[in-house]
Amino acid sequence: MTKKKSATTKKKQANPSSRHRPGQIHCLKLLRQLSAYIDGELPSDICQEIRSHLGDCPNCEVFILSLQQTVILCRHRPVPPLKSADRVALRRAILKKAIAK
Amino acid sequence: MASALKKLSPPLPSQEPDEFDTLYRDHVDLIYRYAHRLCGETESAKDLVQETFLNAYRGLKNFRGEARLSTWLYTIASRACLRMRRKRKGEPEYELSLDELVPTSEGEFRLQIPVDELTPEEALQNKELRQALDQAIDALPKKYRMVLVLRDMEGLQAKEVGTIMGLNERAVKSRLHRARLFVRRELSARGIIDENDHKSGGLRS
Repeated sequence: MTKKKSATTKKKQANPSSRHRPGQIHCLKLLRQLSAYIDGELPSDICQEIRSHLGDCPNCEVFILSLQQTVILCRHRPVPPLKSADRVALRRAILKKAIAK
Repeated sequence: MASALKKLSPPLPSQEPDEFDTLYRDHVDLIYRYAHRLCGETESAKDLVQETFLNAYRGLKNFRGEARLSTWLYTIASRACLRMRRKRKGEPEYELSLDELVPTSEGEFRLQIPVDELTPEEALQNKELRQALDQAIDALPKKYRMVLVLRDMEGLQAKEVGTIMGLNERAVKSRLHRARLFVRRELSARGIIDENDHKSGGLRS
C-alpha cells in the first residue's frame, strides 16, 4: 500500500509539463540512478519516470547517452593476450617459488 | 572438487600435469586479462599473475569448492593487487563523491564522447580516445577500478563482484556508478568537439 502511494507520488513528480533544468533536484535524482537504469535493474515505474524525464530534458538525454557510451567503451577496451613464452616462464617461476618455501 | 584437490601432489616443473597445472592452464589467460586491466601494463600484470597463482598453489589444499574456481582466483588476485599497489606506491585511498561527479552546469551536462556512428572497436582505434580511456581508468581509486573492471570488463554479476570484494550488492552498484561517472567525465572533458569533428570521430585534447 505504501509502495503504491510512493509510486504514484513519483509519477506525479515526473509530469512532463514541468520543465527541468540542470542543477534542479529532479535531474540530480535521476542522474544518481542512471547506472541502475542502464543495467536494467530498476522497477518499471521508475524506468517510465526516467523515460518521461529524458523526453523532456535534452541535457539528461545527452548525459545518459555519454554514460552509455562510456560503459560500451569500457566493455570493448582491448587487452593484449599473454604470450606463450610468458605463460611457460610464469608457470616455471611460480613452481620454483612454491617449492623453495 | 575438494577431494580431487586434496590429492594434489607436490608439483615439480618436470611432472605430469596435476591439479595445479590444470588450474593454471585453465585460468592463466583469464587472470592475466584481469591483471592487465587492473594494472594497465604488462610487467605489473605478470607480477600479479605470479603472485596470484603462488597464493593459489598454497591455498589449493584448503579450497572447498564453495565458490567457482574463477571467483576464488579473482578474489586472490584482487587482494594481491591491493597489497602490491599499496606496497609500491603507498597511494592514499580516497572516496569518489557523487556530488562532484554529477554535472551542475549545462556545459558539463552536454559534454560528449566522440563515438557516434562508429562501432566501439572503430572508436577505440582512435589512439587519443584509447589513451584517454586508459588514463581515466588508471586515475580511478583502485577499489572503484576493481569494481568497474570486474563488472563492465570481465562481465561479472554484481553479486559475484560483491563476493570477490567482500561487499554487499548495494555497495558494488554504488561504486560502479561512481566509477562510470568518473570515467565519463574524464573522457567527455577531453572530447568537446564540434559537429564536423564529431562526424570524423576526432577528439580534442
